[in-house]
Amino acid sequence: MDLKTYCCDGLESELIRGELLMKRIGRCIIVLLLILFSTTGCWNLKEPNQLAFFTGNGLDLTEDGKLEATVLIVTPAGIGGGQFSSGDKKKGYQVVSATGKNVSDAITNIQSKLSRHVFPGHRDIFLVGQRLADQGIGETIDPFLRNAHSDLRSLIYLVKDAKPEEIFSIEPFFDQFITTSLSDEQTAIGIKPYLAREFVIDVLSEGTQPLMPVVSLNPQNHYNFDGSAIFNKEDNVKLVGFLNKKETFYANWVKDRLSSHTLTSFINQGDGTISITLGSFKRHITVKEVDEEIHIDLRLSGKGTIIENSTNLDPSKGVDLKLIEDELEKITQKAIEKQIKMVQKKYKMDIYGFGESVHQQYPKQWKTIKHNWSEHFSQLHVSVNVDLTCNNPGQANWSIYP
Amino acid sequence: MDIHGKQKLSKKTSQSNNKHTAPKNSQPISKNIIENEHLFKNIFNNCSDIMFREVKIHSQVILLFIYVDGMVDTEIITTNVLEPLLYDGLPQGLGGIESLEQVLEQERFSVLQTKKLSDVEEITEYILKGNLAIFVDGEGNALLADVKKFETRSIEEPSTEASLRGSKESFTENLRTNTMLLRRIIVSPKLKVESLKIGKMTKTDIAVMYIEGIVSISVLNEVRKRLKQIQIDEILESGYVEESIEDNHFSPFPQILNSERPDVTSSGLLEGKVVILTNGSPYSLIVPMTFWNGLQATDDYSERFLFVTMIRWVRYIFTIFSIIFPSIYIALTNYHQEMVPPDLMLNIAVLRERSPFPTLIEVFLMEFMFEGLQEAGIRLPKQIGPLVSIVGALVIGEAAVSAGIISAPVVIIVSAAGIASFIIPRYSFGFPMRMLRYPIMILAGVFGLFGIAVGIIAVLIHLINLKSFGTPYLTPVSPRNKHGLKDVLLRWPRERVNKG
Repeated sequence: MDLKTYCCDGLESELIRGELLMKRIGRCIIVLLLILFSTTGCWNLKEPNQLAFFTGNGLDLTEDGKLEATVLIVTPAGIGGGQFSSGDKKKGYQVVSATGKNVSDAITNIQSKLSRHVFPGHRDIFLVGQRLADQGIGETIDPFLRNAHSDLRSLIYLVKDAKPEEIFSIEPFFDQFITTSLSDEQTAIGIKPYLAREFVIDVLSEGTQPLMPVVSLNPQNHYNFDGSAIFNKEDNVKLVGFLNKKETFYANWVKDRLSSHTLTSFINQGDGTISITLGSFKRHITVKEVDEEIHIDLRLSGKGTIIENSTNLDPSKGVDLKLIEDELEKITQKAIEKQIKMVQKKYKMDIYGFGESVHQQYPKQWKTIKHNWSEHFSQLHVSVNVDLTCNNPGQANWSIYP
Repeated sequence: MDIHGKQKLSKKTSQSNNKHTAPKNSQPISKNIIENEHLFKNIFNNCSDIMFREVKIHSQVILLFIYVDGMVDTEIITTNVLEPLLYDGLPQGLGGIESLEQVLEQERFSVLQTKKLSDVEEITEYILKGNLAIFVDGEGNALLADVKKFETRSIEEPSTEASLRGSKESFTENLRTNTMLLRRIIVSPKLKVESLKIGKMTKTDIAVMYIEGIVSISVLNEVRKRLKQIQIDEILESGYVEESIEDNHFSPFPQILNSERPDVTSSGLLEGKVVILTNGSPYSLIVPMTFWNGLQATDDYSERFLFVTMIRWVRYIFTIFSIIFPSIYIALTNYHQEMVPPDLMLNIAVLRERSPFPTLIEVFLMEFMFEGLQEAGIRLPKQIGPLVSIVGALVIGEAAVSAGIISAPVVIIVSAAGIASFIIPRYSFGFPMRMLRYPIMILAGVFGLFGIAVGIIAVLIHLINLKSFGTPYLTPVSPRNKHGLKDVLLRWPRERVNKG
């Protein structure tokens, strides 16, 4: 270290200056602390055992049209934690509901049933009841999601044919809380998780309509991932229709939100079904203007491995593999084309985000058409091109049963 | 015999030899040996360890020996001084003999260091430091022979600065051994040793060492100046010196590096620093010190640089960790619960469910106990040492948690921060981290993360203003020095550092 560079000659004056500086630092710190007092202080202090953490939160309408909020509250005394195992076992969570004139009122009413302060910072799941969705969730959900304490990273679901309360009351399979299961669900089936934040982005965007995942209650008193719901954000984010599971996968592929999916199809030439697990999906949208009409050229690709094969084709042979790929591509392409047509005709909602691509690629034209984009969307000419690649299946090429 | 001339000469030499230490009101000794004996018996009244030995030779001249029993090598005295004198008598007729002193000094004494002194006070001091004083009847000078021999601790392994690969030598309490250790490493006449004595009662020998040509002159002058200004009765340890010459008494950070390792000390010398050695202390003081010196271990320079760079970063992170980890826990659990991952927050909530105290009090209690354990561990006799760890681990760790007095996360946080403060290679450099933890904890308990931010800003302002003998404490980070940074952020290979 080169000390000489920094050594000053006037060390004595240096010392005096140092003392003065210390005084100034002292003053600085006092000022800093005074400023601090205006921003925060012990009056904001909340010990963890003064808080009611809720991991799930649902909104719905009661039968007589009142807004009902439901929360899944963690009761720490009921959760494992070796040291408190003695005594009677408590449940690890409680589901509490209350009605109110609006969201804040409902939450206040929930608070009046609890001895601890409600704390939404760790919310995993946000559920929207179907009855509320039919009425439109735009006005209701806004104060809720934009609350400073609210966690926008919570996943959002629509509850079909059930109430959020019923979903929360399900006894979870693996986890402590059903909310944890629900938040892992989408990743497990190969869709990128749809967060409340993304819902807000979709609603605020110009060219995309929200596509919200759906859960429903099944007869075994468990939940089902049940496709997704289409909303119309131009009309108070009202529920307009559903896509089933298969359609949801295709729609997510077009939206570029798919991470893995197993495709099973009947192959005519091979006289049997074949299953392929796809990954590394890619989507490419090219917008073209032909005769003042907008054409969308959609290119989808995916790579995968054949995992089940009951056809008489041998995937290890190049010819057969090509045949399988071509056949799968054709089937998928048709299905996607059909689905897009259906959405265009039936719902007229651009759930795929084509509008965003037009916005990006033809920003000038977009200004004139964005106001009635839904109309334009239903008239769009979409050409779909699917490109599937099967990896060499190795030894798992044909059935052991000849 | 031309006694007068000799006297003048010896006075001159003694004056030039002892310019710094000679007291102003010097009192010369008498020429009469009986008077001298009385004089010194008076001075050493009730000092049973001071020996007086009269020697008569051929019933001619009386010699008087004064020495401290136990501090001189009696064998040398007998074989080199007494025996020849008693058996052979005084040498005669060899010509040019002016005084008996001269004879003794030049022909009889096979002792390296001898000195002729006439001042009573000086002679007293030399006797007390283990010299043999020889008075000759009829001569106004005493001959002082350095025949020191006393029990010292041998060179042992360093106890507080252990290293895996570096040398296993450490300083001892003996100043000469320590200078020898350094001299052995730096074989160059440019290594200078300036001596002075500080302390009215202890008259402790202090050695200021530096390498001429490398040392920063302004630092050296400042060290000399500050050492001269010390006005205290006793210097029992290098800490006395440190406290007397440090820049800022109220800073929690040490501004003078201490080391018990000759290799660390000599590397400091080679970097142009000034080393102060204190007799009686096995620790050298190295000035100026920077913040980063406190975080550098000896092994850093013996191991390969990639690993050392990694370990250094571990050290830096743990240093920050040891200051703010408990505070961050307090701030997050009390104010910013949403910042903790949900599952972790729920776990903490579960474990805190039955805690009777607020988090801040809990952490304070635990930290307090931890400091107590640490302090108890140092003082306890080795035989009952393990008791502390048992009490600490079982009673405080296990039982307090299962009794629901302290929540488990707090125990984890406090012990993690404790371990983090032990990772600091220089023991005394861990003190500021341990101390600063408390004010920042209070800030966190009152203001949350904002409080921690203000606390850290305050510490940084202080560090940037702090200087050690004129060198900014955060050199080379602030003021920035690219060359120096290679030994802070990394431990760049030496050859490349030298290339620039």
